[in-house]
Amino acid sequence: MVDSLLRARGLNKQFRSGNEPVQVFRDLSLRLDEGDSLALTGRSGSGKSTLLNILCGLEKPDAGLVEVLGETFDSRKPEVPAKNEARWGNLRRQRIGVVFQEANLMPALSLLDNVRFRARLAGQSEEECQDWLERLGIGELADRFPDQVSGGQRQRAALAMVFAMKPALILADEPTGSLDRQTAEAVIGQLFELQARHGCGLILATHDPELAARCGRHLDLGHLSET
Amino acid sequence: MTLLAALFSHYRRHPLQLLALATMIVLATMLWTGVYHLTSQARASLDQSESAVAERQQVTREDGTRMTVADFVELRRAGLCVMPWLEVSSPEGGRLVGVDPLAAGCFEQPASEEAPWQGELDGRPFVDISEAAELVREQAGQLSLLISDAGSIGGLPAGYRLAPFRVGPDTGELGDSFLLNLDALGVLVLLITALLVRSVYLLGMAQRRDSFALLHRFGVPQSRVNRLLVVEILLLALVCIVPGIWLGRWLATGLGSGFGQALEGLFDQSLYAGQGGNWLVPLATMLAVVLVACLADFLRPLARRLVGGNRRSGGSVLLMLVAGLALSVWVMDLLWLFVAVAMVFVAAGILAPGLIAWLADRRAESDRDLQARWRHRELSVLARRLALPLVALQFAMAMVLAVQALVTTFEGTFDRWLAQRLEADFYIEVPETGDLAPALDWLAAQPELAASGLWHRVIRGRATLPGGEDRTGTNVDVFALGPVGPLVTDWQLFESTPQPWQGLQQGEGVMVNEQLARRHGVRVGQNLTVVLGGQSIEFPVLAVYPDYGRPAGEILVNASMLPPDFTIGFQSLSVSPGNLSIDTVTDELRRIWQVEELTVRDNRAIKELASAIFDQTFLLTRAMTTLTLILAAIALLMMGWVFFSTRAWYFRLLVVWGLSRRQASAQLIRLSVALTGAIALLALPLGIWLTWVLVHRINPIAFGWSLPMAVYPEFWLELGVLSLLIGLCIALLMSRQLKSPTVAPVNANALAGGDR
Amino acid sequence: MRRWVLVGFMVVLAGCTEPPQETGFAGLAGVAKNESGVPFLQPGPGERLTFPDDFGPHPQHRIEWWYLTANLETSDGEPLGLQWTQFRQAITPRSANAEPPAADTWPLEAAWMAHAAVSFDTRHYFAEKLARGDVGHAGAQAEPLAVWLDDWQLEAGSWKEPWRLQVAEDGWSYDLTLRVNGDPVAHGDNGFSAKSADGEGSMYFSLVDLQIEGTVTLGDRTLNVTGKGWFDREWSSQFLKSGQQGWDWFALHLDSGDKLMAFRLREQESGFRSGTWIPDDGKPVALQPDQLRLRPANPGNEGFPRQWRLEVPDYGVELEVSAPPGDYLNSGLYPYWESPVTVAGSHSGEGYMELTGYGD
Repeated sequence: MVDSLLRARGLNKQFRSGNEPVQVFRDLSLRLDEGDSLALTGRSGSGKSTLLNILCGLEKPDAGLVEVLGETFDSRKPEVPAKNEARWGNLRRQRIGVVFQEANLMPALSLLDNVRFRARLAGQSEEECQDWLERLGIGELADRFPDQVSGGQRQRAALAMVFAMKPALILADEPTGSLDRQTAEAVIGQLFELQARHGCGLILATHDPELAARCGRHLDLGHLSET
Repeated sequence: MTLLAALFSHYRRHPLQLLALATMIVLATMLWTGVYHLTSQARASLDQSESAVAERQQVTREDGTRMTVADFVELRRAGLCVMPWLEVSSPEGGRLVGVDPLAAGCFEQPASEEAPWQGELDGRPFVDISEAAELVREQAGQLSLLISDAGSIGGLPAGYRLAPFRVGPDTGELGDSFLLNLDALGVLVLLITALLVRSVYLLGMAQRRDSFALLHRFGVPQSRVNRLLVVEILLLALVCIVPGIWLGRWLATGLGSGFGQALEGLFDQSLYAGQGGNWLVPLATMLAVVLVACLADFLRPLARRLVGGNRRSGGSVLLMLVAGLALSVWVMDLLWLFVAVAMVFVAAGILAPGLIAWLADRRAESDRDLQARWRHRELSVLARRLALPLVALQFAMAMVLAVQALVTTFEGTFDRWLAQRLEADFYIEVPETGDLAPALDWLAAQPELAASGLWHRVIRGRATLPGGEDRTGTNVDVFALGPVGPLVTDWQLFESTPQPWQGLQQGEGVMVNEQLARRHGVRVGQNLTVVLGGQSIEFPVLAVYPDYGRPAGEILVNASMLPPDFTIGFQSLSVSPGNLSIDTVTDELRRIWQVEELTVRDNRAIKELASAIFDQTFLLTRAMTTLTLILAAIALLMMGWVFFSTRAWYFRLLVVWGLSRRQASAQLIRLSVALTGAIALLALPLGIWLTWVLVHRINPIAFGWSLPMAVYPEFWLELGVLSLLIGLCIALLMSRQLKSPTVAPVNANALAGGDR
Repeated sequence: MRRWVLVGFMVVLAGCTEPPQETGFAGLAGVAKNESGVPFLQPGPGERLTFPDDFGPHPQHRIEWWYLTANLETSDGEPLGLQWTQFRQAITPRSANAEPPAADTWPLEAAWMAHAAVSFDTRHYFAEKLARGDVGHAGAQAEPLAVWLDDWQLEAGSWKEPWRLQVAEDGWSYDLTLRVNGDPVAHGDNGFSAKSADGEGSMYFSLVDLQIEGTVTLGDRTLNVTGKGWFDREWSSQFLKSGQQGWDWFALHLDSGDKLMAFRLREQESGFRSGTWIPDDGKPVALQPDQLRLRPANPGNEGFPRQWRLEVPDYGVELEVSAPPGDYLNSGLYPYWESPVTVAGSHSGEGYMELTGYGD
């Protein structure tokens, strides 16, 4: 049996908008196996980003259990917050790669330095960093700074960063949301290709149904049903 | 919706940005107004102090007995405007002067100025005479009756005579010099204020880049947007300047209470700043500053056209710095000196952030550690993006350094100046009928005086230096004394032959004061021809001595060298009696000279009193600079925080990438502390240079005499610690933002957060 | 002015000593105590005047004054107005029979202020002097009568004998002899003059018929003058009530030989009026507030009203009181208006007018 990379059960999250509590999701469960890809869809504000943040420890759920890469985070078990934070930190540093819609790179570092910074944090060697940039087709831009390259090239560099850390799980939040269709196609193609080749799990938040269809599974937060 | 409303709508969506902008204008106005107010106070305080030590007339009894309250009543009932002046030792040390503000009412003061004993008495050193009278019961006090100039015209009742009355020696130009320096500092504060306003304005512009782009796309011409921006900033300035002025005045006048108490702890003394100053000057000044600071963009192309079109390059700025420094050494003209100061400050202001950025980039290149490289790159970005508030802080620190050195210098100079003018504990006037020779013999014969005391006689008169263009020669003061002993030999000399005092004692030459040396190019070692009485004598110059604030040239000679036909202007004895009682000395002198009364001045008391009178001025000046520093720090704190906020997303990336918040905070602390520490380091040479200019250049050029220059490394350390504290505060403010999960990168680029 | 000046005067002194008592209503001033336990005394109805003692100072009262106004004429027949006033302001009360503190302690139990003014030919000369009490250069005594501050002095063997008043200032001076006719006029209730509807007040009497002659020197011109004068003595321990804005006071010599004193203390809504009708051949009558009408002739005007309507219907008095052309502001520490006036209407005559609290 394949071990699941990630398992979440009974996740609850609500926000306060003024004095009104707004339910983002209630009793949400999901599971992701090695090599699996899961698409999160739903309209704006349906909680896609919040869910991704919870799954990498950047936000805390009001209730629920998250098991990820062998670590268990249970809202019912009281634990020292700093200890939890350190466990999540270790996971994000070494095993969970996060890609946002934009601004994934430190603006004051070159593309290569960004990748190396990230790889070094993950404990990976810096040797392959240039390779990763080349594999993503932006090898000759390694010494450029983020503001000197196009948005698509920046997102490619962000993918290079994530793959250079050799992650077990990739969380991508609208990674092509600010790119034109053609560039988006190219970038997303590379994402799926590399994910498939390295066998890591992928959760992709998107509002694009076509993109969602390319994932193995699909969770629509708008309807809260897994298909 | 009108265009103005459209422009302003940016702030409706981002009220905090508007608040920050408004706060900065309010703070800057508050700073300038507060400093302006304090400067006025320091000026008034100096005027008061000088009027307190100015020479006046007093009434004494012809029979030499002490004045009493009965004399006061008799003189007042005779219609004379006399005022009691009761000097006593304060139980807390120092001297107190009891005055009667009601009796002082008839004393005319020029131009609505208040004398220090009119209005509210603050105990420094003036108190109500009833308080002083109470102290007299425990220790002796001396009642003098001062008479107003107008009151002395009518003629005195029989049995009384007029005599000069003076608390301390004439400050001469020392006060003027202090005021000139104060003015120079005021201009500097204005510059700092302008920098703060400009930095806020630019930040606002950067924040609204998107709005402008949108308007441009809608077809609104750039010039129209610009015009509206000017209107907007003017409106905002008007709204903010008024409360700023109010706050500034509140701050300055509050020195007597709340804020003052905080500063009291700092200075170990209380401050007194009365009401005064007006609204108009700060209002007009601040409006002008805001206009210039915000319109600089429109002026720049014009200036560029004038200069010749090139963007300024590092080389030309460096050239300006070097030229400014060179000018400051060579010019002999105040205007050019101020030009030089301006050049150095402008160049330093442009270069400092660039230098930090350049150094940080070089460091980053050589860093193997990527976190360090990231930090240095960020430092470089910060230095460039926060250039204006950084420079403002740099200038403020440089100014505080200079003022601290200047004020301490003035205090020290003041002490030395007092010590030089009041060289012995007592000063005994030789009566016109008195023969000095038996008195000198008696003094020389006293074993106690020889063992523990010190004395010399002083003769003052005039001499002429022949030559000059009009052949009439130059008149100089003659200061003759003898024997030459420790009362004078500890004077600091600017220049001297190997054993100048010995030479003076043996009559081998003369010493000249600084004024004479500067104005007439007199050097040590050269021969000076002096016409003393009817004779022309040539003396070698043994030394040049400092003579703080005296506008006239003076030569110091041994009294034994004066020819018999020398016209004595004034003769006195300076005596530090040591173990001998001064009364023994004066009793004997009275006997020798056959007079009932001697004019004896207690120099120690005068010294204490004069110091007490001037303390307030120095205190206020320090308060002024402390205020500047505090507000410049707050400004940097605010700007730093606003700018850091625009990069909050990127700092949070560190957390996303797995650093704990503590580790990320540590990076931020190192970043901001490096920034403020660097600017403090760069402020140091600028501050020392400014001190040097104030003390060694401006003063000699303006007045012909120099102040001693000293540096105070402990104070540098204090400033360094302060800059680190500012850095820490910025980092702590930022670390709070790392907690928030809702930081968005959305307008990060619009805010120039993506800059590198 | 009397009260107003002293309220402010107190503030100056406050700089030197303890804070002053409440400057608003001081109805309780009578029980205000100093450290030695001696209270300030507050006059009340039923209190009587004592002569000659009451020409001397009242150290247990907070405020008092000796106040002379004179309508004189030069030998050329030109009118000349003249004022001399000396105020005493106690800071610490002292019982009347206590020894004063020693002069060489420069005590500050009381302060003195003297005002002198001459109004002649549309010009107004004014001078002010200040002194602390108990030192000796300022003071007052009942017999022989003497009130002095520096070289300004009023002296007489007793109050019934001729007085001599000397004032010398930079550029002007006067030296007058005053002869007292008639008895002192006690205002209000045998000398207790109410100053508000609630019954607070002061002790107040006047010598209303003084024959004056002497010289007034203005610059290098010495004028021989004769005429009549009005002398007030008043003492109390309380100031204006907090609502009272100022004070309008008139002392008039009518050609019929009758005299009239009238004042009002202005308040927001109304004010308190009082006065004394002194018929030529009868006993003085205290005027009740409703017997007296007093108002500016042109109430809308800014500043000090120069023309007034004064009516006492019970005695057929309907007067128009006007100040001559000129500015009669006594611009001392606490400016107020003090001018000679002429009277027209049912009676003709002359007198003096004093106005305070017009927001100058």
